[in-house]
Order: sequence, then C-alpha cells, then structure tokens
Amino acid sequence: MGLEKFKDRNVGTQNYIKLDLTHPPKDGWSKFKQVLSRAVQPELFVGLWVTLREMNNALFRGKMHTTQYPLEKLPISPRYRAIHDMLRLLESGHYRCIGCGLCEKICISNCISMDTRYDENQRKEVSEYTINFGRCIFCGYCAEVCPELAIVHGGRYENASEQRASFSLFEDMLTPIDNLNLQQEYQGFGAISPNADDNIKKTPLAY
Amino acid sequence: MLLHIDGGSIMSSIRKNEQKAITITIDGKSCSGVFGQTILQIARENGIYIPTMCYLTKVLPIASCRMCVVDVEGVDGLILSCQERAVDGAVVTTQNAELYKERQNIMKLYNVNHPLECGVCDQSGECDLQNKTMEFGLEGQNFTAKEPSRPVQNWGFVSYDPALCIMCEKCVRVSTEITGDEALKVKFGGYSSTIENVKQDKNFATLGEAASVCPVGALVDTSFKYSANAWELTKVPSSCPHCGGGHDVTYETKNGKVYRVSNEAEFSTMCSASRYGFDFVNEGVTKDKEAFNKAIEAFSSAKSIIFSKEISNEEALILQKLKELKGYKLISNEARAYQKFMSAYSSISGKALYSGTEDTLSKSRAIIVLGTRINDDAPTIKYSINKASKHHRARVCYMHPIEDNNIQNIVTQFIKYDAMSEEGVVALLAYTLLKDKELPSEVRAILDDLDIGNLSAESNIGEEELETLRKSLIKKVGYSLVVGADLYSHPRAENIAKMVALIEKYAGFNVICVPPAGNGMGISLICDLDDTVEGATIGYNVKGDFTLSAFGGGDLDMPSLIQQEGTLTSIGKRVVPINVALNYGGYVLNNIANALGLNSQYTIDYTKQLPIEKGFKAIEFDFLPNSFDITGKENRGYLLSEIEVSQDGTIEEPVEVEGIDGAVVYNCNPQEHFSPFTAKSKILPNNPYLLGSKQFSTASKLNDGDSVKFVIDNIEFTRVFKIDTSLKGTIALNPTYDMGLSTALLSSYRFSRLEKIGS
Repeated sequence: MGLEKFKDRNVGTQNYIKLDLTHPPKDGWSKFKQVLSRAVQPELFVGLWVTLREMNNALFRGKMHTTQYPLEKLPISPRYRAIHDMLRLLESGHYRCIGCGLCEKICISNCISMDTRYDENQRKEVSEYTINFGRCIFCGYCAEVCPELAIVHGGRYENASEQRASFSLFEDMLTPIDNLNLQQEYQGFGAISPNADDNIKKTPLAY
Repeated sequence: MLLHIDGGSIMSSIRKNEQKAITITIDGKSCSGVFGQTILQIARENGIYIPTMCYLTKVLPIASCRMCVVDVEGVDGLILSCQERAVDGAVVTTQNAELYKERQNIMKLYNVNHPLECGVCDQSGECDLQNKTMEFGLEGQNFTAKEPSRPVQNWGFVSYDPALCIMCEKCVRVSTEITGDEALKVKFGGYSSTIENVKQDKNFATLGEAASVCPVGALVDTSFKYSANAWELTKVPSSCPHCGGGHDVTYETKNGKVYRVSNEAEFSTMCSASRYGFDFVNEGVTKDKEAFNKAIEAFSSAKSIIFSKEISNEEALILQKLKELKGYKLISNEARAYQKFMSAYSSISGKALYSGTEDTLSKSRAIIVLGTRINDDAPTIKYSINKASKHHRARVCYMHPIEDNNIQNIVTQFIKYDAMSEEGVVALLAYTLLKDKELPSEVRAILDDLDIGNLSAESNIGEEELETLRKSLIKKVGYSLVVGADLYSHPRAENIAKMVALIEKYAGFNVICVPPAGNGMGISLICDLDDTVEGATIGYNVKGDFTLSAFGGGDLDMPSLIQQEGTLTSIGKRVVPINVALNYGGYVLNNIANALGLNSQYTIDYTKQLPIEKGFKAIEFDFLPNSFDITGKENRGYLLSEIEVSQDGTIEEPVEVEGIDGAVVYNCNPQEHFSPFTAKSKILPNNPYLLGSKQFSTASKLNDGDSVKFVIDNIEFTRVFKIDTSLKGTIALNPTYDMGLSTALLSSYRFSRLEKIGS
C-alpha cells in the first residue's frame, strides 16, 4: 500500500458553515474608501489627546512617570536576593565572618569556596573567600544559615562588569570600612519593603 | 562482690585466675567474659552501650568523668564500670532513671562556661561533648562559675585552649603511658585545673598523639587548627608508609590536598612522621611519553635495579618478576642486610620470622633492647616498651654505645658497649640468659667455649652488669628482646642473628628484629636480592643511570606511597593496605612492567600473587579489611602465616674485631624522620645537623656551628655540627633522611670513623 491513502485528507463529511461576509472591494476606488473609513475615526483623536496631555504634564508640569535609569533607581524590596554583602561588626569594624564554613556546606550550587587559617592572634581567620557568580542561583541559603549575619544578600542587582571576578572576592563584598556608618542591617526574609505603606492601595471592591 | 584493681595480693590472685571464663548479666542479657575484664569491656564486647567521656581503650582506666556509672545488684552506690573488674554472676544495670539523672548532671557540669564557639571549633562535628550534650538533652546552662583568664597556648606541634578543656586527662595518659614523652601533666586547682606542658622547650612531635585523643577541641594540631571543618574532609584509610610499623592512618583530604592525618586513636597510636609528614605527594605529574620510552630503553639495557625501601609489596613483586624475566640484579641495601640476618636467624629458630609482636612486647615484664636507638629507629616499638614499663612496671635494659636521654624515664638499666663489638655483646647476652637453661649439648658446648673475660673486655661490658641483668630477670615472667639495624649492617651479622635466635629458642624470649623503616620487611620477603651492582643501573628512588623517583629529581616520575594502592608489611608481621589519597597522573611501575613483557592491568592485581611460601596469603586487594572492632581488635589486612624452615644453622665463635676509636659518627635519623619522603614535610623540623657531645667536639676538633664535610659509603655529607648537651661520649648522630636519591645507597655499618674531607 502506498502513502497516497494517508495523504488523502478528504475523508468523511465536512460540515463547514460559510459566513455571509461582504465581498472584499474589487476596484481601486472602493479599496481606498475602505482604508479611509477604517483609519480616520474620532477615537484616534481621543488617544492622541491622552498622549498630548501626558506629554504636557511630563515636560511642562513636572509629572514624569518613567524612572530615569541609571540616573534614578527605584527602591527594591529587602527580600530581593542580589549580589551578596559581607557585613562588619559596627563596634570594631572587624568583619563578622567567623569562618565556620556553613555557607560553603549548605550551598546547593557549590559556588562558595573558602579557606581559613590559624592567625597570629590565635583566632580563626578567613584567608580566602570567593563566590562563583557564574554558578550562584541566588537561593539565599547561605544568608539563612549564617550564624553571625555576616553574609547577606544585598541590593546590588547590576551584574554587568568587565570581569566576573569583580564581584566574587571577599573584599569586594565586604562593607568598605569608611562606609561602615552606612551599613544596612539585613532585615530578613519576611521583611517588607521600606515604602510598603505607600504601596498600600484599596482593594478593587472598595472602588 | 567486686574487686578493685589496686593492691598487690589482689593482682596476684587475678593473675592466677586469668583466662577463667565468667558470665555476668548486663541489662538482662547474659554476657560472657574473662576474669580480669572490667564491666565496661564485657559490655562493649557484647554490644551493650555505656556512655563514657574519659575512657580510652589503649590506656588504663582514667575514671575522671564518672559517666560510665552502672548499678550492680547488691552493691550500695553507683559503680564505675570502666575500672571495676567483673565477678562471676554479677547483675548489672546500665540504663535507668537514676543513672540517666546522674549522667545528665555530669554533662551539665561539663557544659559550665564551655565556650559556645562550635562554629569555629575544630572538633565540631566529631566532638564527644556535642554528642553527649545532645544525647542527654541539655538545652541550657543551669550553673555558672567565675571564669578565670585562660589564654590559648601554642605548644609548637599542638596548641591548647584551656577554656575548651574538659579535664578528661586522656592526653596526659597518652603522653605518659603510650608515647612516653611525659610532657603533659595535670595542674590541679578545682575549676581552674588545666593541662600543662612541662617540657615545652623540647617541642615533642609525639604530642600530636595526645591531641588525637582529645574529645573536644582543646588540644589540636597547630598545623591543622582552624584550617578546615571535620565534615568537609574526605577520609581515606591507609597505613603508615614511613616507620615500618604499618599502623593505621587516615588521610583527610579536601580539594586535592591532605589537611591532616588521623587514626583510630582509641586503639592505635601513630609515629610522628606519619602524623605530620604527609606532604610527600609527587605533584603535577603527567604522562610524559618521551621519558617513558627512555625508561623502557634504559630497562632493556640495564643489568641492575637499585631501589629504596619505600615501595609497596606489589612493586617489590613486580621488580622480582622483572628479575625472573630479564635477569636483573636487585639491590636494596638495608633490606638485603635484613634478609641475610633473618635467614641466618631462622636457620636456628626454625621459623621464617621472629616470634615477638607489639602486643606481647607491651605486655612483657622484662625487655632488653639491643643494637638500635629504638626511640628514633622505631617509635611505635618504643611506645610498646613504654606501655610495658608503665602498665606492667617492666624492667627495660637498653644496650647501646650511646645513651638515649629520651628514654631515660623507662630504662631501668643502661649497658654501654663499644661500637663494633655487637657480636661479643650478643654472645655475652646469650651466655648470661642461657646460663641455667636446659640446652642441647652442642649449644651448651659453644656457650661454654666462650672466652667471657675477653669478650667482656672487648665490648667494655662489665660481668657484674650482666649479672645484675640476669638477677633482675629471675622473678619476672614474659621477656622480650628487641634488636635493630646496628646488627644487620654489622660485618658479622649472620652469626649475631644465630645467637639472637638462641635466646628466642631457649630462653623463652619474644624477639622482635625491627625491620628497616619503610617496607624493608616486605622487600626482604618478596625480592631475591643481590649484593653487588652490575652494569648499567636503574634507580628507583635512588640515583641510578636512569632514575625513577617518587620525590622528584629523577628521569621518570613515580607515584609516592600516598598516591597508590598496594600493601605494606609491618613490624607486627601484618600485610596492611595503602590507598590512593591524592591523584596521580603519570606512569607507574606496572606500566613499565607491562611494556617489558609482564601482563597485569593494575598494580594491585599482584596482591594475590605475593609469595605464599613466604607467609603471604592469596587474597585480593579489594578484600583486605582495614578496621578495628569495638574492643580494639585489629582487623587490618592479614597476618603473615608462620613458615617453618630447616634448622641447619651452626654458630661460630665470635671473631675479634677492631673497634672504632676517635670521633665516630652514627647514622641515625631523628624520631620524626625516616626517609627523603619525611624530609619533604613542611611541618616537621628539618634541621639535619650533626649532633654530638662536648667530648665529640674536642675529639673531632669541631666547634658548635662549624660546617663539616665527610664521606660515608662514597656519599658526601655536608653537615653543620651542633653540640647537644644531652649526649655523652665521642659518637655523634648523623641524620641521613635528607640525602634525597643518595639516602638508600648507604649500606655499611652504622658507626664509622669521622673522616673529614676538605675544610
């Protein structure tokens, strides 16, 4: 048996209902009339009016709605999980990390690697600490497991750089010592955003 | 109902009843044991759990923690199961509400002010205190105490944090009863009791053994401290490749690097070389086809293979098979000397191997050590001697030309003899020990023929010294004799061996002939060694015309013993497995052997082919066990079977030899070093000084700090001379471990006259 039978699509009875549509215009003049009647409607000017009004508001009345990124940035939620921050102790300025290795252990994409050593003050010192951001899935387990609130997720979401290494070293993530007063305490996973009050709106039913 | 272990009369009654089977009931289960065993021992043998904090199987019961308390029917109060010997028919309860409360209270006290630094503590994850705190459900600290200032102390190899210390005293006991450095002591003072290091200036590497039994993070290796967490490390079980003891080691690795070496510290003890000398890996080796082809070429034109003793049994068998195939001469000097010594020895004793074991040695009541600086040559044997001394108050007679200050604490009699007079010394010893024994007439005739006065004068041993020795042994039971490398390299080694065998055979001594470090014993059993080199040579870890080397510097790289599978033969006459802890990317000896006509996929295929007629067993490598059971019974590899040989040896009369006078050097490595492999360690001190006394300084006209050049066996040594005030006499110690590819070429008698060359 050949394939012909399979290719034959005219099988069975078709019950198509033909719609009673007007016939498409035939000559040039009636085609032009159809275009014109469809394009030029009063609603066009209603739409244009909104645009003109908002343009006027934005340019001349100071009511801009777009965020001028990168000159301007929106506040992000404290729950946002971006590039990690290494925090310092506020009192001494020493980094908080005690080198317990729990973040390294818990990391499910195996992207944290650290080395520690016995330092001159007979304390445990973190001698190497890197996060491979090519692997990191920003799951937040490292921040959750950290007993010292030393490693947290920061708000640094701009991950474009000439080198990936620009993010991954301990020193890059560590709060700069001269910015210690600006160090933000991590609010935790259930934290609400700082502008949460402003974001509260009436439920649709109340309109 | 119960006996306490103290008291002489009780001890003797115990001895009488030894091996008598008893039955006690523990938690309703009928358990059998042997008279003299403690309740805890019987419980553990029968799989019953009694919690302990301070109990350490390998030392005497410490009884400082009181966690092991049990209830015994008919006895008032709680009983410490770790130190109470069980009596027949006792009914013991190990778990009830009262005992739980008692143990919980102990744990509460242990937790008083214990720093909550588990996050950084090295012991975290394998900490007894953590485990027991969880076990007894402690969620908070109920009491507190005023915390004295207790700074962390760095003692060199180990560091001590008194704040973490729970005063279980295990470390003190190991330092005293096992390693014998006696550096650690308890400083009593109630809550502010601490452990102190009374010999800090000595910086004993053996303190690592004390650190290994610490249940908490108080005493840890300085080299490991804070470098990794216990749970991050991959544990690779293996055996010590350095000292010849073949004791168990576990390499703990992470990211292709060994972080530390641990062991089953509850039962066994390591030498410092394997504890700290683990970084001898041959790194970054790839398959160098060109060098390999050159090696094949070199093998086809070579007539001899010279090799060091740091190779596995399998490699030794490959070399032996190559010899059978291609007719190479196999040269391995120290192993050859040992092989000759043992074959002469067995021609009298009738057994291929010596009779003693480390276990019988550590239970001996009298020990004679002869011809070896035992503390440096075989530290694990010294541990056993120390154990015998501490546990059984054994008499230890140390016979050597140089007094050893490090074992002064256990030696009860030091007999000094002149270097080179070993044959006379052994003859005198045999004469003394066999004086009142029943002997076959021909042996008696040989001993009676000895010119005792002459021998005594030649060796410089007073007859009264031997008489003292003989008298001190009279009332003792269980004798051991340990002989070592001085005898093997002696020109009259074979006759010495025969006389030592007499002592084993007729005086009832357990003799241990300490094999050369590394795998000297394995090589001597497997290889048919030759005496002289012929033609072009292949060197394996030795300088040859073509050099294979596992520590770099050769023509073709080989894997070090940390990078290959195989077996080693130990002092305990045990064949023990070694495993791959770190990867190796180059060629191995088996590749060369295959290219030369042997056929075997892996080196370990040779494990089951090891010569059965020498005592090996046909067991596949993969079926070799490597563990201890709960009672501490070693279940690692297998024991060599006892092989009977014909007793056709005849003893000759001692020959008069010329003594060595003037300034003499003695080839002897420090306790932590054995070979160029340990020399690679970054943790062990690497100061190969020529150490001598003030007297030696005068005799050799060398001052402290002088550089001196001399030649032994055509190997040129350049050494800085240092005066060691603990030494006496005109014999200096010359380390050989750092001589790289030349180390294994040394073959002559260990004592030699200092022949300075140049200036």
